[in-house]
Amino acid sequence: MTLTRDAQLGAQRITLADSETVRIAHLLRRAGFTPTRAEIERAVAQGYEATVEELLHPDEQPDLEIEDLIRRYHVDQNSLMLLDSSQGYWLYRIINSRRPLEEKMALFWHGLFATAYGKLNHAKAVVNQTHTFRRHGLGKFADILLELSRDPAMIFWLDNKDNHRDAPNENYGRELLELFSMGIGNYTEDDVKAAARSFTGWTIENTEYMSIRASRDSFWPYGRIDWQFRYRDDDHDDTEKTFLGHTGAFNGQDVIDIIIRQPATAHYIAGKLYNFFVSDRPDEEAIGILADEFTRTEGDIRAVMRRMFLSDFFVDQSVRLGRVKSPAELVGGTARLAGSHRTPEWTICNLAMDVNFMGQEILNPPTVEGWHTGMEWIDTGNLVERINAAGAEMRDTSRPGVRAVIDRVKSAGNNLAPQQLAEACLDALGMFEVSDATLDSLVALAAPWGEVRFDRPEAAACAEERISEMLQLIVASREYQLA
Amino acid sequence: MTTAAATASFAYSHTVGFLAYRGRGFIHPIDLALGDDGVMYVLNRGGPESVGRLEHKRVCVCTVDEGYVGEWGTGGIEDGQFWWASGIARAADGRLYVTDEALQRINIFDPDGVFLRYWGEVGDEPGQINRPAAITVAPDGTLLITDGLNHRVQRFTTEGEYLDGWGEFGAQAGQFNTPWGLCCDAEGNVLVADWRNDRVQAFTSSGRFVGQWGTSGEGKGQLSRPSSVAVDGDGYIYVADWGNERVQIFAPDGEVAAVLHGDATTSAWAEDYLAANPDESRARREANLVPAVNPWRDHHRETSARVEARFWGPTSINVDAQGRIYVVDSCRHRVQVYRKNV
Repeated sequence: MTLTRDAQLGAQRITLADSETVRIAHLLRRAGFTPTRAEIERAVAQGYEATVEELLHPDEQPDLEIEDLIRRYHVDQNSLMLLDSSQGYWLYRIINSRRPLEEKMALFWHGLFATAYGKLNHAKAVVNQTHTFRRHGLGKFADILLELSRDPAMIFWLDNKDNHRDAPNENYGRELLELFSMGIGNYTEDDVKAAARSFTGWTIENTEYMSIRASRDSFWPYGRIDWQFRYRDDDHDDTEKTFLGHTGAFNGQDVIDIIIRQPATAHYIAGKLYNFFVSDRPDEEAIGILADEFTRTEGDIRAVMRRMFLSDFFVDQSVRLGRVKSPAELVGGTARLAGSHRTPEWTICNLAMDVNFMGQEILNPPTVEGWHTGMEWIDTGNLVERINAAGAEMRDTSRPGVRAVIDRVKSAGNNLAPQQLAEACLDALGMFEVSDATLDSLVALAAPWGEVRFDRPEAAACAEERISEMLQLIVASREYQLA
Repeated sequence: MTTAAATASFAYSHTVGFLAYRGRGFIHPIDLALGDDGVMYVLNRGGPESVGRLEHKRVCVCTVDEGYVGEWGTGGIEDGQFWWASGIARAADGRLYVTDEALQRINIFDPDGVFLRYWGEVGDEPGQINRPAAITVAPDGTLLITDGLNHRVQRFTTEGEYLDGWGEFGAQAGQFNTPWGLCCDAEGNVLVADWRNDRVQAFTSSGRFVGQWGTSGEGKGQLSRPSSVAVDGDGYIYVADWGNERVQIFAPDGEVAAVLHGDATTSAWAEDYLAANPDESRARREANLVPAVNPWRDHHRETSARVEARFWGPTSINVDAQGRIYVVDSCRHRVQVYRKNV
């Protein structure tokens, strides 16, 4: 155990593991969702850099192996017609995917390119968009923007279906520059107009019929029909345009090619990635390093992420446990840890509701700007939701993840004094850094129990209850609510 | 579409259904039972299981010629209520049996849908169940169910008394991986959709393995997660090839007699809706409802999501004595009816 001064957590930060284990646990939390102790051990065995490479190549892991079971038992998650069904489906992915960074990137892009069910009335269209993020989320940024521009949900969300050669609609062109790539102040109104004209004709199949259905929330007679991209050359403005200092008869692809070469784009995307994966507090030097990598690799997101994960600023103590878990991270990650929902259970809809109650309706962000993150995830109301939801997962000692934690705690010794019990539980949860105040609280909980004994069969059930109580208090701690 | 075979052809007839949370229509139907005079008892699984959606779980009673008779049942955990209703079968006396994979029950209803009682004890001992999926009535009047997570078939009396069973987890002959649909032929031989083994297995009435159809894949004669199986009096075997979003029909000699992908048209109930919404109806007529598609992921399913007429999640197939074939099209909230012509 080591103690260091720490402004993040309190007067003293107590470290219960070696520095490599601490770094890897941090990596797995940020690049995924609350790793289990076994996953941390496996990563430690293969080393930090090898773990980074594994995370960066999700295609080398199998895709969701229970997808058929989900669709069989949740018929509603086969059609994905309803928002709550679709939210449950994403939680299954978060809990069960062996490609954690793929899911984390999907959440990141979903927050940045926020597209909401509320206007579309078509949940599967938004799910399909998240599949695009899974497919391209670690690829070239130009490909991401191209797929986004062709994505039916985005075309509907920002009205590009209404962007015609003779009557341009600037909504998508504006947000493409302002929110999706460069940030305000780096382009002119004329650039917005030129971008919009370049994307005329980028629409969806059966525009009128699909628009009528969406506007009146009609799923009749036989459910939603998936939207498809369609390019209408006869509705495209192929005249000359001037965009960000370049002149030509641009189409949407040309606009994207110009955007990704802008230094503002590199800095904007680097800043967004830093904010999501590293810290809520901007560090211009670190963001500059990521922006340089973006520019050097012509927008290769995998390269930028590698640069981030291998940088000292990513694992520095000042950022570890310094980021509030989003509701989806908290709920999905805790379910992973507890081992719940590894196979289809109807209660997945309750987990989805928990995420909603905490302020994050995945697939239905509040505005095109996405969610306000960081400390804004926490208020007096949803803090109670967060603690209750996490505690409920740890309460059921029959869950395989909870059982694995209990078995690991038991292996620490037949008789555990209060502090030993607290430290063994923290270790079994992969929480190697806590404040002295938190540890004191855990020890105080266990103090009235005296020694918890596992060597007497008649006391085993009681001992397991003690561990469960300890786990529930730990997941309520500041350190667990952070990542 | 009409698909010719050596001795029989199979032609699309019409579609029954309309998306409705209550009343005249279906919401994620999963199975149906056939009654007398063309009556269908369509079991709606609904979902997800949030409070406001529980009333979607019900049995809609209608006729093959699109008459609406009524509905009964609702979602919940009380006696006679449904949570994950999965299979429905009708006995000779008109009583209806409904399996529930979440509540782990087999419910018994009288012919009018009045709940009588249920049985079901969770476990893996003989007579116990773990996610009972499909149910069928054997020619001798006994009930057969697929015991999904116990990977076996079990037989009960109509009062729920355990008789016998067979199967265990595995991929060898006579073993199962999460079986789903099942049916009997006139002699009592049993066909089982061995869902996660991508095959259909045949057994004698006493459970002795006879043969199997299908290997994993999307080619002709191959299967992907078959959900349901039916057999007619001529020995044709009908398989809901769920993962391939199609139906395959095997002739008595084992050859593929037909492959159906779905041909849905607007039902009478759908026509009523469109007549009441002329602007939507006009736009629909002018739309291309069979667009060219090329999804990059999960090709069959995503194509079905884009082309409304195709099967999407066919969970159940039945055939009646008149040669009518009923395909429960779960993600499209309807039943597509075909006809066999000899």
